[in-house]
Amino acid sequence: MSDAKTDSGAPRAISGIEVMRGVGAQQAKGFWSDAWERVLQRKGAVFGILWISVVAFFAIFAPVLASAHPVRLERLDAAGAVTAVEWPLFNNLSPTDWLLMIGFVVGVPWVLFGPKALGRSGRLGVLAVAMLQAGLTVVVAGSVVKWADGSGVEWLKQAARLQSGPWPIIGGIAALIGLVTLVVPTFNSRAPRFATVIVTAVIAATLVLASGGQKLINFERYIDDERAGKIRAVWAPIPWSPQYTRSDMSAIKPGTAVAENPKLAEFAGTKFGERRSWLGTDALGGDVLAQMMWACRLSISIGLVSTGISLLIGVTIGAIMGYFGGWIDLLLFRVVEIFMAVPVLFLLIVAAGVLPRDTYVMMAIIGCFSWTGAARFTRAEFLKLRKQDFVQAAQATGLPLRAILFRHMLPNGVTPVLVDASFAIAAAISVEATLSFLGLGPDGQASWGKLLSSATASTGTFVWWLAVFPGLAIFLSVLSYNLLGEALRDAIDPKLRKAAH
Amino acid sequence: MVNFLLRRLLFMVPTVLGITFMVFMLLALAPGGIGAGLAVQGGQMSDTSKVAQMQAYLEDRYGLNDPVVVQYLRWLGRISPVKFGERDLRNASGDRVSAPREIKQPEMAWLFTPPDAPTVVFTPVSGEGQQEQQIEEFKKLQRDAEGARRAYIGSARLFKDTLADYVREAGAPWTDRLEPKGGAEPENFRDLKLDPANAKFGALHQAADDMHKKWSLAEEARQRAYIAFKAQPYPLSGYGVIPGAVYLDSPDLGVAFSKNRPVWDLISAALPVTLLINLIAFPISYLVAVPTGILAATRRGGWFDVLSGVMYLSLYSIPTVLAGVFAIGFLANKQYLGLFPVSGLHDSAASTYTFLPYWDDAGTWREGWLLDLLWHVALPVLCLVYASFAVLSKQTRAAMLENFNADYVRTAKAKGVPRNDVVMRHVFRNSLLPLITMFVGIFPAMLAGSVVIERIFTIPGMGSLIIEAIDLRDREIILANTFMIACVNLFALLLADILYAVADPRVSYE
Repeated sequence: MSDAKTDSGAPRAISGIEVMRGVGAQQAKGFWSDAWERVLQRKGAVFGILWISVVAFFAIFAPVLASAHPVRLERLDAAGAVTAVEWPLFNNLSPTDWLLMIGFVVGVPWVLFGPKALGRSGRLGVLAVAMLQAGLTVVVAGSVVKWADGSGVEWLKQAARLQSGPWPIIGGIAALIGLVTLVVPTFNSRAPRFATVIVTAVIAATLVLASGGQKLINFERYIDDERAGKIRAVWAPIPWSPQYTRSDMSAIKPGTAVAENPKLAEFAGTKFGERRSWLGTDALGGDVLAQMMWACRLSISIGLVSTGISLLIGVTIGAIMGYFGGWIDLLLFRVVEIFMAVPVLFLLIVAAGVLPRDTYVMMAIIGCFSWTGAARFTRAEFLKLRKQDFVQAAQATGLPLRAILFRHMLPNGVTPVLVDASFAIAAAISVEATLSFLGLGPDGQASWGKLLSSATASTGTFVWWLAVFPGLAIFLSVLSYNLLGEALRDAIDPKLRKAAH
Repeated sequence: MVNFLLRRLLFMVPTVLGITFMVFMLLALAPGGIGAGLAVQGGQMSDTSKVAQMQAYLEDRYGLNDPVVVQYLRWLGRISPVKFGERDLRNASGDRVSAPREIKQPEMAWLFTPPDAPTVVFTPVSGEGQQEQQIEEFKKLQRDAEGARRAYIGSARLFKDTLADYVREAGAPWTDRLEPKGGAEPENFRDLKLDPANAKFGALHQAADDMHKKWSLAEEARQRAYIAFKAQPYPLSGYGVIPGAVYLDSPDLGVAFSKNRPVWDLISAALPVTLLINLIAFPISYLVAVPTGILAATRRGGWFDVLSGVMYLSLYSIPTVLAGVFAIGFLANKQYLGLFPVSGLHDSAASTYTFLPYWDDAGTWREGWLLDLLWHVALPVLCLVYASFAVLSKQTRAAMLENFNADYVRTAKAKGVPRNDVVMRHVFRNSLLPLITMFVGIFPAMLAGSVVIERIFTIPGMGSLIIEAIDLRDREIILANTFMIACVNLFALLLADILYAVADPRVSYE
């Protein structure tokens, strides 16, 4: 199509024939890009997106930004000459840390400047599938190796304790998950699909192998050595780790330097003595800011993963209920009713109370107990859709049930579910905070809710900085997802849009 | 309408069964299982074999050694108003007294033949004027039966341990059949031939003899207690339908492991507290949210509409725990404002207060019981209501807006009905319906919210009870709570449906 503009930029008159040829016509915007533009017109939604981006940024880069390991460490001999240079911070990154950072560094340019032929949503899809595959490999391989190491089966134990690393197990799992991902339609042609899957699997497996399990960490060693002049260190912007707790630094006020604390006056004048806890410390003496940054990962992941699980269950069951109707609907709706009979939070408290305190368990239970909303929305949409012509046409052509439900009906009925998903993420974050507050949260994991719960001690004292900063973070996150959901709903709901004019 | 009600009530049964079954399975599948709380209690004793015997006794007492589904069915049998088997008695304080339970035959009867079951002939005290003696005697027999049973269970456990020792002594092919934790299940050793050369041979025989002796004693004591039970020292409980087989009785929620008290007592103390807080909170949330919703709708797009929308969404985004911590920290804590009490429902001296406030003779203000209570529940209620404002007012606004565009409103305006009448009489009346449905959404949310709030403000309601029960893994309390909350919730939903029909003549359930 030629450009219907003169050199000066002003539109020139076009003839009728040109109009018929389509000169000057603009391609209609797709449903989703139209909705997205409407969302961006809302100030609240933009604020929400910004805040979520900030949290996501910290979720990815917290291990580099807040760590009690030095970034660069020079070992000095007695004369003060450098004998060796180490990079402890990078050596201590977990496979997940590496994966997230590599994903960000590669993923952002890929989505922005990747092959045009795929389209933006196509590039996003490829990135999502690759990250999902790699993430699953890292998580599953890590826990399988751990399990194999402690299991009673002799050959498994030997495979996990190989001198060269547990590569048979990790490689096997990477290959297995890679094979499954091959089925996911990322590219239309085979070759690039294979290439993506193999590259992702190799990267994930290498990361797990390279990390080589948990190391014992002694943060005090760095500080003592630095004070004694044995090392020269370059520290991370926030030189604290969530795991680094000192009983002599319990409940320090925000902005206090270490040496200002009477218990640690001996450090006056040293580099450690000048360190500040910008947001104070908790009762155990861990830095609040560092914990809050690391907790971003939990906040983002718990919202996304648990909502993903609940959507998967809810949409499938809702689709079946709505499509078949009749006694299947009646039967499955009783199941939905079971979950509605008792407040979901109550069930979650019981489940979290008796099941192991683990992040993935928590995501699973939040997902498994909150799918009824998605199921009800999908059911209502499918009940409407199943009488429509295009569905009957699909049935008449003899398409398999899977194709009718998920290829033809789902894209037409998924909108309300997706709007609801934003609110579901907000709810999941709030539930996580609640469970962590009640002491039912995941063990060994920094969490905003856990920090909040330490604000009110049993002794009756109230530590305001433990309530205000994590509380604000929880509030802003929940608010962001709610604002986003609200904007999305208004953008998508044609009835509301009409009423607005 | 009656048809509809019946159908709804009928549908409630599978729902309640489903939810309790789910929670039961969850508790059973959890690491440590249902007995985890008992193990903790037993752990205080030093001697491990004593601990094992104690555990065996407790498992027997609460029926924890049966398959999970059997345990669930037994629980269901207790909950069900239609009961089968021997009718219970009720003692003077209203507690249930059941017939003494059957005792299992000693195990491994194919190797160690148990003695014949004793037959007890015994005439309990009975007759006019002898009631007190009869009750005393029955109580004593009950205690004896329980003690003998406990001794028997302990010796049976000891026998199993000795069997495990024997098997370990016997060596290779047999040891594979031991349980992972080292115990021996007699069923797995049906083809075991006793070998006198085994070092544990004597000990095993001795354990078996001891077990048989204790079984005879326990069986004897049980029969005696049963005869005394049949003589009915207390009045019968419930209404018999088929004598000796089927009768109707109120649900039995069981006895809490951790507190050794009937669960019903615990719940009947806790439920009113939770309901009180919720019933105070409910009207407040409607009274605040509905008028703002109406106002926002009448001045659509105006500053009030925008402001209330933003404010309510922000409030809605504050998790209850956050609000609770801020309220207790800044408003109640003595370090800051200290305006409200930090915990509980009453002042420690509240029982001496009069109901209403008054000035005493010295002219000082006495706040009285009612004000004291309101002062204590102010913060919890505040934390409970704010989140529902957003949901309710948004719904009101949307419903009002929909009706504002309707033809009948234009007609009313056109014929000169005053604006207030149009808003209140026509539009609002027709917007009531969705408000009633909101009940369905808000009530469970508030019930769940009060679990958290009670924990924060240490109020002795259902929430505190449930969290304590989870910490102690007390199955009876958790299940009973699930049951009660499900019932309250389902009836609230039913009430909403009925109100629906009352508010809107167009709705009928025929």
